[in-house]
Amino acid sequence: MKLANNHVLILLPVFNESKVIFSVIKSIKKEGWKNILVVDDGSTDNTYNEAKKSGVIILKHITNRGKGAAVKTGLEAAKKLGSEIVVTLDSDGQHNPKDIKKMVGQIKRGCDVVLGIRDFKKRHIPRYKVFVNYLGNILTWMFYGLWVKDSQSGFRAYNKKAVRLIQTNNDRYEFESEIVREIVRNNLKWTEKIIDVRYSDYDQNKKNKQSLSSAIKTIIKLALFG
Amino acid sequence: MNITVLSVLLLIFSLYSIGERVVRFIRKEQGQSVFKLIAIIFIWGGISYVALFKLGSENNLNIFIFIGFVVVFFILFRLINILEKNERLLTEIIRKQALKDLK
Repeated sequence: MKLANNHVLILLPVFNESKVIFSVIKSIKKEGWKNILVVDDGSTDNTYNEAKKSGVIILKHITNRGKGAAVKTGLEAAKKLGSEIVVTLDSDGQHNPKDIKKMVGQIKRGCDVVLGIRDFKKRHIPRYKVFVNYLGNILTWMFYGLWVKDSQSGFRAYNKKAVRLIQTNNDRYEFESEIVREIVRNNLKWTEKIIDVRYSDYDQNKKNKQSLSSAIKTIIKLALFG
Repeated sequence: MNITVLSVLLLIFSLYSIGERVVRFIRKEQGQSVFKLIAIIFIWGGISYVALFKLGSENNLNIFIFIGFVVVFFILFRLINILEKNERLLTEIIRKQALKDLK
């Protein structure tokens, strides 16, 4: 399997998003990104077939292992495919594919990792998300000693060096904070870039979004296992 | 301070546990964090304090309860670690299986 010539791989970890995955892939392709890798994290609905219809590279976990596990599988695949830049996006359509260009631009200007940050001053972002994210930022800073403005954002870009050096253990949402630890541990050059987010009714009502209980589990896991 | 064989043994074990963590933290080993280091120092430091200053050789029931607490804590921590390890192993197997589709 070979990548198209620009060697930028768009990585979409996905779990039970059959209603939107096709349109999300289509909107990424519309922006001119041809190399798209979908990691289906054990979906029990029609996600796999919907993604396959759009002709992207697709890998499947036989059972659900969590977003962190799916992204890690994608990063391993990126190494095998020889991609120079990897951009990760959430697969529920909340991220705007138009922002991929500026994330890739920062990597080309010499950054190893670019963290997409939501503009929390915008009123359409639910207030509880702002609070949970702020809490996540404080804990990430406490555990790893690096202050980031959006520790839980799934919109990130990595260059080849970062993909090679980053080693994560956690399978679930702790993964996002673990990336911050790896930036510190490997002394990677990083920056943040404001991204656009769109919270739809679909996104707010879906069953597999991060709940308060999973957020508490995330905190305990980070504390015990780093 | 009540120095008994038991308190000395607990102190040695606590110092070993703290020392091992400090070395792992300095080496920046994977899975080590400031919070985890502080938690370990706090827990084993507390055990050392109780062993040295609060346990008397005459108070057998307290010693029994205290050792029970230490053993249960230790076993629980080990079990959580083993569970985590197995979870990671399972993910690794599933990942290898998924990556086969890449060829």
